[in-house]
Amino acid sequence: MFPLLTLTVFLPLAGAILLVIASQIGLSPRTSHAIGIIISGLTLISALAVWLRGVDGEFSQIEQVEWIPSLGAGYRLGVDGISLPLVLVTTVLFFASLIFSAEIRERATAYVALFLALETACLGVFLSLDLVLFYVFWEVTLVGMYFIIAGWGHEHRQRAALTFFIYTLLGSLPLLLGILALYLEGDPRTFDMRAIIADPPLSGSIATFAFAALFIAFAIKIPIFPVHTWLPTAHVEAPTAGSVILAGVLLKLGTYGLLRIGLQMTPDAFRDAAPYVAIIAVISALYGAFIALAQSDLKRLVAYTSVNHMGYVALGIAAAAAATSAGDRDFALDGAVLQMVSHGIVTGALFLLVGMVQERTGTREMGEISGLLGRVPRLGWAFILAAFASLGLPGLAHFPAEFQIFLGTFGVWPVAAAIVVIGIVVTAGLYLRAIQAAFLGPSPDGSNDDASGTSRFGDLSFREIGAVGPLLVLTVAIGVYPTMLLDAIHRTIDLLPV
Amino acid sequence: MSRDLGLIIPEIAIVITAVLALVAEMLRRPRLALIATVVGLLAAALLTIPLFGEDTTVFLGTYRIDDLSLWAKVIILPATALSAILFIPEIRGTDREGTVYSLLSFVAAGSVILAGAGDIMFIVLGVLISSLGSFVLVAYPRDDRATEAAMKYFVFGSVTGAMMIFGLTYWFGATGSTLLSELDRLDGRELAGIAGLLGVLIGLGYKASIAPFHFWAPDAYDGGPVAAAAFISIVPKIGAIFGIAQVMRSLPESAVEWPLLIALLAAFSMTFGNLAALVQTNLIRLLAYSSIAQAGYFLLAIVALDRSDLDISALVVFAAAYAAMNLGAFAVVGWAGRDLEGFRGVGRTLAPWHGAAMVIFLLSLVGVPPLGGFVGKLLLFGAAIDAGYTWLAVVGILNTVLSLAVYLRVIVPMYQPADGDAVSGESRSIARTSITVLSVLLTLGIGIGAQVILTTTI
Repeated sequence: MFPLLTLTVFLPLAGAILLVIASQIGLSPRTSHAIGIIISGLTLISALAVWLRGVDGEFSQIEQVEWIPSLGAGYRLGVDGISLPLVLVTTVLFFASLIFSAEIRERATAYVALFLALETACLGVFLSLDLVLFYVFWEVTLVGMYFIIAGWGHEHRQRAALTFFIYTLLGSLPLLLGILALYLEGDPRTFDMRAIIADPPLSGSIATFAFAALFIAFAIKIPIFPVHTWLPTAHVEAPTAGSVILAGVLLKLGTYGLLRIGLQMTPDAFRDAAPYVAIIAVISALYGAFIALAQSDLKRLVAYTSVNHMGYVALGIAAAAAATSAGDRDFALDGAVLQMVSHGIVTGALFLLVGMVQERTGTREMGEISGLLGRVPRLGWAFILAAFASLGLPGLAHFPAEFQIFLGTFGVWPVAAAIVVIGIVVTAGLYLRAIQAAFLGPSPDGSNDDASGTSRFGDLSFREIGAVGPLLVLTVAIGVYPTMLLDAIHRTIDLLPV
Repeated sequence: MSRDLGLIIPEIAIVITAVLALVAEMLRRPRLALIATVVGLLAAALLTIPLFGEDTTVFLGTYRIDDLSLWAKVIILPATALSAILFIPEIRGTDREGTVYSLLSFVAAGSVILAGAGDIMFIVLGVLISSLGSFVLVAYPRDDRATEAAMKYFVFGSVTGAMMIFGLTYWFGATGSTLLSELDRLDGRELAGIAGLLGVLIGLGYKASIAPFHFWAPDAYDGGPVAAAAFISIVPKIGAIFGIAQVMRSLPESAVEWPLLIALLAAFSMTFGNLAALVQTNLIRLLAYSSIAQAGYFLLAIVALDRSDLDISALVVFAAAYAAMNLGAFAVVGWAGRDLEGFRGVGRTLAPWHGAAMVIFLLSLVGVPPLGGFVGKLLLFGAAIDAGYTWLAVVGILNTVLSLAVYLRVIVPMYQPADGDAVSGESRSIARTSITVLSVLLTLGIGIGAQVILTTTI
């Protein structure tokens, strides 16, 4: 069988290597960007081909080669209903990000190469069926993102990049500890995720200890209150496309890990700990919403709503861990996986749009912007659509996901579900406030325009529509017809033991 | 007897190489000495390969031919050959150039002997042979700094050597034999057991620059040529660590509770090395303290000896990775200079390739996958947990985070805008560049191809 998964994972890396080699003979920024867009487009097509080839509930399209057989570590890739949607959203977001970035002139080749390398690492995490391979890709995402923030971020980028790197590396070391525990207790010892999932090796206090280590690792990545503090600084300082990938893809690594490793490999320990995880998740979701409410910087606002939305995902996974009926579990997990996709698409679009606003007005402070809807109507309406999606309006991407999460949680912990719904109200409020402040209201009569240059104040350009348009289309498509993804998701979720 | 000689062909080849280099130097042909050293050492490493699979002793049980000693040769000898090449830009054209190459071979011989020691006398011999050559290498520039550094190194070596021999006499007295395999007889004689153990740890801990026996290391590294620092931080250290492993394998726990002692030493060395490295502004000293911390990581495998299947694999894989990444890091420092400030902007515009290589070496020292240092640490932590020392693995992991701060202090300025005249770049040399490239390949290769090592050690 043609190794389509390997192709999908390593095509971007091949592109990055090509760029690095070609840069020796000199490349214009235009060519670099063109190569980047073409390669990420091909990767997207390759991911779609994976989808078309058919994904079962079990891991399918498996590709494996022995790597370190003495340790039971191998190169193993495979896809199931949980990883497929994440692979799709990853390829879509990288494609959109590279289109959006096409204006970057400063060290463009290195920028595109880093993005492509990062794409390989992200896809690798989602498609790995081996814990060592998983960890390898996991760590490489850190390095890639560090250099993107440090190299092309805003004024305090060095510090933000460092905070991000140290924080998340601190988080990935307990992950290593958890992986080692899963390995050493296995019989026979193996890093094969399928074998570990089929027969979770840990029990008793070791399982609790391992789950605690894993949870810390994933909580930092997701991020969950109180270990979310790296997120706002990283987002504020990151370049726009970096923020898109950070929020759209890298945060998903945390929830994916919590689901794949936490829930599937230490199920008993997770069940015991589920109420505590749920409490933290509820606090995190509400905290994210309320802190977002207090922001005046649009980018920080979107960043904090991520804490809110990812809190819902964590809550859904915790509810699934504790669920006693297959119905609740299915709702919670279907919703959680779909929420990861929706959040990737919608938040990706929001960060792009905030980036566009900043490019035009030179600021992200809501108080200093007003009347954008009148001046740049297409940008304005795009933002309003994405914001409505983000606050969970029915018919848009977040609604079917959050609805199912709440439904599943309600079956397990009615009180938690009732409390966390407050988050929806708060997000609705904060987005309406943002729209009112920045997009409605009177347009300042050209006073600002002269200073910042009217030429920059056009409506969405062709490039910008190319980047954000597909994301908005997908936002509506998922909202109206979530079944296209839920089918695949549900087939896998349905097979999980209760 | 002829069987014994057949099994120590690599050792014989090293000594012949050293003598050939010396003869070439007497003929005033330093270039010939260099070629003899590189070719001879690589040949000795190749001659080791047919011996893999042997697990025996020679000369009445006094010298061991096993996985540890064989892998020590395969790691130490190429590392020595590469160090010789790294020396070229610093000593070319100087008086006595050829002696350096000869001394490298002698130190390598001493280190190899340590790694295969099956007898107390071989431990002493190995320490002495590898020390004597090292002192001279540090003192080679003959200026005040180098002389002071070598003096410090020498005084420390003499004192710790004496203490080691003093401690070892207790073992000899208690067991009536100098053989390590006779240490079983220490059973119940706690005082003698502890005295000897302390002696060994002081003597070999000094060679391996394990804290708290490390005081000489930063000065000696910084005083001598950069290549000497690279060499001393790799070859004698790996020899000494493997020597400790040979001793501890034979030492019954009923005599002394050695794993706990080693575990404490490991925790102290890792933590101290990283904390001290955190405040250095001189890159050689930073790498010196980092190598003290790395010595602590090595000890994790020794704690797990015979309690985990991963023990020898962890030692060997980490040693190989350590040799590659440390050599590479020193090669870049040799090019860019010792001052941390000099690294500003190196990766950004001045020398992106050198910068990228340095990033790979430093991240590998941290233990970021898929680099060699990662597989090594994975095995070390796995071995420690497997042996029941989870707390030690946790200390190791916390130290990894700490070490990240150390190495980021080098990486971050490399990607900040340069001040202008940071690195002259005129000290570029083919020798250094080729060592850098080779080290990158090895660091990556060990990370991805660790199976090659593991097939023989598990």
